[in-house]
This record gives sequence, C-alpha cells and structure tokens, in this order.
Amino acid sequence: MSAPAPERPLPTPTRESKPYWEGLRAGKLMLQHCVRCGKVRHYPRPVCPHCFSMESEFKPAALTGKLHTWTVCHHPFNFFFKAQAPYIVALVDMDAGVRINAPLRGVDSAQLKIGQPVQLQFEPVTADVTVPYFAIA
Amino acid sequence: MAHALREKAAVSGIGETAYTRGTEKSGLALQLEASLKAIADAGLSPRDIDGVVPYFPGGGIAEDFIANLGLTDLALSLFVPMGGATCVAAIQSAAMAVATGVCKHVLISVGRTGYSGARVSTRLQQFPQFALAAEFEAPIAQGARRHMELYGTTPRHFAEIAVTTRQHAILNGNVVMNKPLTVEEHHASRMIADPFRLFDCSLESDGGAAIVISAADRARALKKPLVTIMGVAEGHPESPASIAQRPDLLDFGLVKAARRGYAMAGVGPKDIDVAEIYDCFTFTVIRQLEILGFCKTGEGGPFVMDGRIGINGDLPLNTHGGLLSQGHVVGLNHVIELTRQLRREAGRAQVKDAEVGLVTGYGDMGDGSLAILRRAA
Repeated sequence: MSAPAPERPLPTPTRESKPYWEGLRAGKLMLQHCVRCGKVRHYPRPVCPHCFSMESEFKPAALTGKLHTWTVCHHPFNFFFKAQAPYIVALVDMDAGVRINAPLRGVDSAQLKIGQPVQLQFEPVTADVTVPYFAIA
Repeated sequence: MAHALREKAAVSGIGETAYTRGTEKSGLALQLEASLKAIADAGLSPRDIDGVVPYFPGGGIAEDFIANLGLTDLALSLFVPMGGATCVAAIQSAAMAVATGVCKHVLISVGRTGYSGARVSTRLQQFPQFALAAEFEAPIAQGARRHMELYGTTPRHFAEIAVTTRQHAILNGNVVMNKPLTVEEHHASRMIADPFRLFDCSLESDGGAAIVISAADRARALKKPLVTIMGVAEGHPESPASIAQRPDLLDFGLVKAARRGYAMAGVGPKDIDVAEIYDCFTFTVIRQLEILGFCKTGEGGPFVMDGRIGINGDLPLNTHGGLLSQGHVVGLNHVIELTRQLRREAGRAQVKDAEVGLVTGYGDMGDGSLAILRRAA
C-alpha cells in the first residue's frame, strides 16, 4: 500500500480557463459567455456547444446560488484534506446559470436542504491561486 | 427489421484468476493468465486471437499480447477508455469486428493490482477526463444524496444490495469477501463520503479477467454452449467530463445505451432472467435499475427489498458478488458471471432456467454500457 503524498492539489490553469482563475484571485466569479449566442458555459472550453462559435468573453457573475445537493467527505480523495475531514462538498445551482462544486463551510450537514440559498466566497491558497467555497447566505 | 448486429456475435470463452487482496504477480501477468484461461475455455489456441481490446489505462497493450501469446497476424487493437463502462462497451466494438469479418476472435481483458499496486485514486488521475474537470468522488455521493432527498431512498436500501450480493459471493467462492455481512454491520461501517459507508463502496483488489468474442456461427462450433449477444450499446452522458454541469445528475450514459441496447436485442426488462449490474457503489445499482426500466425513477430503493434480488428472487442480481464482494476487475467479472449463468455453469449460484440476461457497465464520469445475452444452445 502506497499512500498518496500529502500535497495540496492545485489547479493548473489552461489557456481556456486562465480568466476564470484570475477572476477568483481578484475576488470575482468570471464565467465564459459565447459572443454570438450569449449562452454561458462552464468549465471554460474553446467552442460553444450551442452555436459552435469560437468567440467568447468572460463576464463577472452573481455569487449567489441554491443548494442542489451535497456530500460529507470523511475519507478524502486526496489525503492532504484528511486533517479537515469531515467536510461538506456542495453542488450549487448558481443564479448565473451554471453549477459550482465547492466546500460548504460554517454549517452542520444535518441542517441542509435542497434549495437552500448559499453564497460563493474566496479562499486564497497561494499567491497565484484562489479557490471558491460556499457559506450559507 | 432486426438490427444488423443482433446475435451475430457470441461470448465464446471466459477466464478469470483468483480474486485476492495481495499478489506477487504483475497486472500484466494476471491479465495474461486470465486471457489464456478464456482462450482455453473457448477451445481455441492463443494463435487464433486476431483482435485485442485490453483495458486502458493499466495492464497490457497490443504489443504485450503479440509478444506473450505469439499472435502472428493481429488485425485489430483497440482501447475503449470508458472506465467501468469499458468492458461491456468493448463487447460492442468486438461484436462489430467479428460480425463484419474484420476479426475471427477478439480478446477483451483486464489485469489489475488494485490492492497491491497503484490504488484507484492514482488510476483515476491518469484518465484524460481528469484534466478537464478534476471532480470525481463528490458528485457520485452527491447524486445519491439527491436521490435520498427527492425520493426517500435510505441506507437500508443500500444495505440490502451489499448484504444480498455478499451472500452471492459466498456461493461463488472465488471472492475477496467470503464472510456473511449483516445490515447492522453495514450501518456500523465507517463513513467514506456521506451517504456512502465502507460497505457501499466497491473493493480494491487484485485479479485478472478475460473473455473471447467470436462470430456466432464460429462460436456454435466451439466447445461451450452458445451464448449470443442479442443487444449491446455504449452511451455517453451530457456534460461527460463534469458531472456537476450535467442537467440531471442522475442521468448516466446508460439512459442512452439502454434505449439502443434493448432495441437491438428486441427484448425489454420483463424478459430478463438475471442481471449483473455494475456496482461501484450500492446506490449506482439502484439508479441503474430505474434507468433500465425494472422500476420507475425513485422506486429503486424499495425495488431491491424483500428478496427480489436474491438467487431465487424475481430479479437475481450480481450473482457472483460483484465489485462489492467478489473483486474489482472493472466489471468484466459481471460479463463472465452472466455467461456462466446462461451456460448453466454457475454452481450453487445458478439461477434456474436462466435464458436471457443483462449486464451493465458504469464508468468514471457517467459513461454507460449494456449487453443483453441469450442462451442460444
């Protein structure tokens, strides 16, 4: 049995996703929109799957959303997070029209209900990387 | 008009190693050991194999099969990178190859040191999908939680699957988990990713499995009772790399595969005598039973109760113990068990008069696959 090294996994921004990660660092949720048909898409990618345009722009989105579902991780996928377990991972229907999967902090999982309002928060991890988490709105 | 591929191909050979936790053998050696057994089971020589679909990633590649089995004229080498949906989806590719005459006998094989070697988390991170959206464990448990909140599914339903398939594993004998499991022990096992407890999660184990797919007319002349492929299909969900963005978290690729697989087979859920359902988690069985039309959405929990999925139940399920109790060779053991049932070679776990059976695969971010096999002998 070989235990995974307890290093915090960090995102590796791509050409497509760079504006999203830069947005988080600046305290904004930047989402990719198609320039032609205007539809939002997430995660960032080169082509709009609705109209096939390759022209896109990133726009700041509302930080509010509603709880779609959740889990409580007791046995983390990456053992770096073992010290934090158990922790809630929430899947949220953002009012901006996409879903975000991120930790939900400051609430007991027994209190959770589908549809509960939550708000996106920002957690700086390194000088370059900020990751999102949720709090009850 | 019948589908062009219906019953044109057959599962002609099956082979598996011992399923263990702990081995001195490499994944490749386990894969080749199972392959040799499957080829011998069909009554073929390794030199008869002219197509290979090795499980990817991990294990052997075409070059290994040529070098070890002395293949002289390999006509087809494929990977089907669909995680747990791979093995059943590979049957579709193999069936197309033998039905069209591109190949005579295609070998589908898996070898894994999932306990002794790299753990499953390592394997998952090798998947190309992982580079797109590094989410995995959470969305599946989240899907189960949503099902519980919307439909009242409970851990008692999950436990029924774990406990019943453990009984089946004990009947099989070549299994990792060979002690009875009670509902109380299930409920007392440690939480992994709520609502999944330890006994809701499939095993990390060592082992190899292989099958041979041959044209039906060729297979008829071989050693074992003929088991034909009535229907087979793979399906890919919307938002395949990111479960989070999928319009309905509970719609897997199996929704699409089931539609096409049933249509090809010309049968429906009522015609199925035995089902081997991909059981990476207990809950994924419940949801697949709904998708497959054995019950309505939301009714999968109550459906599995009251002995229905036992050997003598209305729908005997995972009659070998599955990934939860037999071993994790990415579901190729499910195909092997279904073939064994239809040949009437399942020993103490034999489902009486099994004629038609169904097997599914469920992989990674929600890919799905389904095959419907028939005892044609």
